[in-house]
Amino acid sequence: MSPNETYPRLLILGIGNLLMGDEGVGVHLAQRLALRELPERVDVLDGGTGGFHLTSYFEDYPCLIMIDATLDGRPPGSIRRLEPRFSSDFPRAMSTHDIGLRDLVEGLHILGRLPKIHLFVVSVAELQNMYIGLSPEVETVMPELERQVLELAERLTVGS
Amino acid sequence: MSNRIVVDPVTRIEGHLRIEAEIQDGKITDAYSSGTMVRGIERILQGRDPRDAWAFVGRVCGVCTTVHSLASCRSVEDALDIHIPPNAELVRNIMFCSQYMHDHVVHFYHLHAMDWVDVVNALQADPKKTSEIAQSISNWPNSSPGYFSDLQKRVTKFVESGQLGIFTNGYWGHPAYKLPPEINLIGLAHYLEALEWQKEIVKVHAIFGGKNPHPNYLVGGMACSINLDDTGAINAERLAHVGKLLADGKRFIEQVYIPDLLAIAPYYLDWGAIGGGLGNYLVYGDLPTNGYRDPASFKFPAGAILNKDLSTVHEVNMREDSEIQEFISRSWYEYAEGNDTGLHPWKGETNIKYTGPKPPYDFLDVEQKYSYLKTPRWKGNAMEVGPLARMLVGYASGREDFKEVVDSTLAKLGVPATALFSTLGRTAARGLESLLIAGWAQEFYESLLTNIRNGDTRMADTSKFNPERWESFAQGVGHMEAPRGALAHWCVIRDQKLENYQLVVPSTWNASPRDPEGKMSAYESSLIDTPVHDPEQPLEIIRTIHSFDPCLACAVHLYDEDGKQVSRARIL
Repeated sequence: MSPNETYPRLLILGIGNLLMGDEGVGVHLAQRLALRELPERVDVLDGGTGGFHLTSYFEDYPCLIMIDATLDGRPPGSIRRLEPRFSSDFPRAMSTHDIGLRDLVEGLHILGRLPKIHLFVVSVAELQNMYIGLSPEVETVMPELERQVLELAERLTVGS
Repeated sequence: MSNRIVVDPVTRIEGHLRIEAEIQDGKITDAYSSGTMVRGIERILQGRDPRDAWAFVGRVCGVCTTVHSLASCRSVEDALDIHIPPNAELVRNIMFCSQYMHDHVVHFYHLHAMDWVDVVNALQADPKKTSEIAQSISNWPNSSPGYFSDLQKRVTKFVESGQLGIFTNGYWGHPAYKLPPEINLIGLAHYLEALEWQKEIVKVHAIFGGKNPHPNYLVGGMACSINLDDTGAINAERLAHVGKLLADGKRFIEQVYIPDLLAIAPYYLDWGAIGGGLGNYLVYGDLPTNGYRDPASFKFPAGAILNKDLSTVHEVNMREDSEIQEFISRSWYEYAEGNDTGLHPWKGETNIKYTGPKPPYDFLDVEQKYSYLKTPRWKGNAMEVGPLARMLVGYASGREDFKEVVDSTLAKLGVPATALFSTLGRTAARGLESLLIAGWAQEFYESLLTNIRNGDTRMADTSKFNPERWESFAQGVGHMEAPRGALAHWCVIRDQKLENYQLVVPSTWNASPRDPEGKMSAYESSLIDTPVHDPEQPLEIIRTIHSFDPCLACAVHLYDEDGKQVSRARIL
């Protein structure tokens, strides 16, 4: 992140499947943030499992802070921030033949319409049962995740 | 000697759908389809308020969010004998149509076209020749030599950078790609144009459903109010916006999608004899024009076809115990009555019992249970659902609009009607039904405007919204034709709560494992005899499976950024 990086508008986009426990951590955070006052020029969206349905949000905002779950083998509840620039900075899979967020990111990249993306990932355990809610490990870090996301959102919009 | 190859994932998601195929002398001799991710939505719903179910099921999948919500509302309305007003039906139909236009176009350009279009080869195209071809097949405006040459320059940069998966992860250069570079370039151009276009059509959902993704539905109607002059309601301006979106969608399908299909198909006519599979087709019917309880009014007629026999359309009764049943003899579940029992969904059970190998594993023990999908059967028959089933049932029912698009397409391609029962037929059917739907959307939109002009603004029947007015026991079935095929939710309501809730989704019909008699379902059956040129690059398997538009309930997306490749196709 360049020190002077600021934007006139910013979207906090939580994604994930609400029905699959910790996999829905991004959605849980978005719903949490929707209940509180946000910095000026910052919007929040529960992107759910939106995929291609989210295209217009990627085009309407110059900067997004995304929150999602990750299966990276780290202890559940670990929070990290990434700055993916290419779809290849997102995890690899045989995405050519499939639809989803990464394909969206790729297409927008070719069109030259990809906004700046900051991605918070929260590590979750390999196996997620279908239930609505978070495990204690992830629930515990929610306030910290919220703090980090808001702090970054403020930093990225102040002075713009 | 036979080789077994594993394709996992077939969709983007690890552990989602897995195909294991036996290959002998360059042809598939046996195939197994496995859903390796557990679904437990049924258990999440038990004990909940039936009026809330649509919101939960809408989260089950990221591609077809609205279809589950609609099926759920219909299921509860069926159980409680709620009749929605005409406007609510029209709004639901319009949302249905825009969902279809979106889903089919995205499926074609962003998933399936890449099985036929070699995007890397497109860089060798002559822009001038490309322009000539483009202008000969369509009036679509973006077709100048300069347009194609600019696109090529832009894309060359990305291909050389090696940073975009679309250009690095495919089977590019595979000999099964047959298109000339110019048509590949048209395909690539429209991949990008479709990306731009699709973001508009989904706005119909936000307008009527309040938000997108995951728009709002309502048991009894729709959760939007019509007031032409109110800024907070569905007003004249928003209706005009919907009209424009539907017209633009229709134009894209007519001028881009269909011409592309017709330009690509002639190079792959051999696929009109590959991938047919079962020859049994099932449609529940949808797009009511006189209420959900009047199937004769449906734009998509209901019915079943057996053994490719288009002379008879069999009636389907979704309430009859013995017609639709789910089996688990090869699925990781248990039934109280035993392994080989079939259960009608109203009596359905969801007791998961995984007995497969401990991951990571090389291959499944396909002699035992091997999937999280149950195996649905209609009167004991394995059935294919989806666009091809709908086009065939409409055709066999003698519907003029179906006959017209099917017959004219067969004539243009110079192929016999038997070519419909194939991978190519499935892919063409998806395009043709998009064309029909784009036209029907205009009718629904005009009807809605007429109703409003005549002063009818009713959008919901709330007379039975209060649970005190419900019987202590009720059961219902809500069916619909999702883009991927026949979808239904069966609900049982006792003492105002959901006692049981069972979804039988299109991919369960198509992707399920064998039944107790050993009969294959649609995916497995369609792969038999498919030629595979190179087992390391099983493009042919992907083509046929993608022709079904595979999507196994819920877009779980997790980041595995250390780059562990689970995708593989290998010889064992």
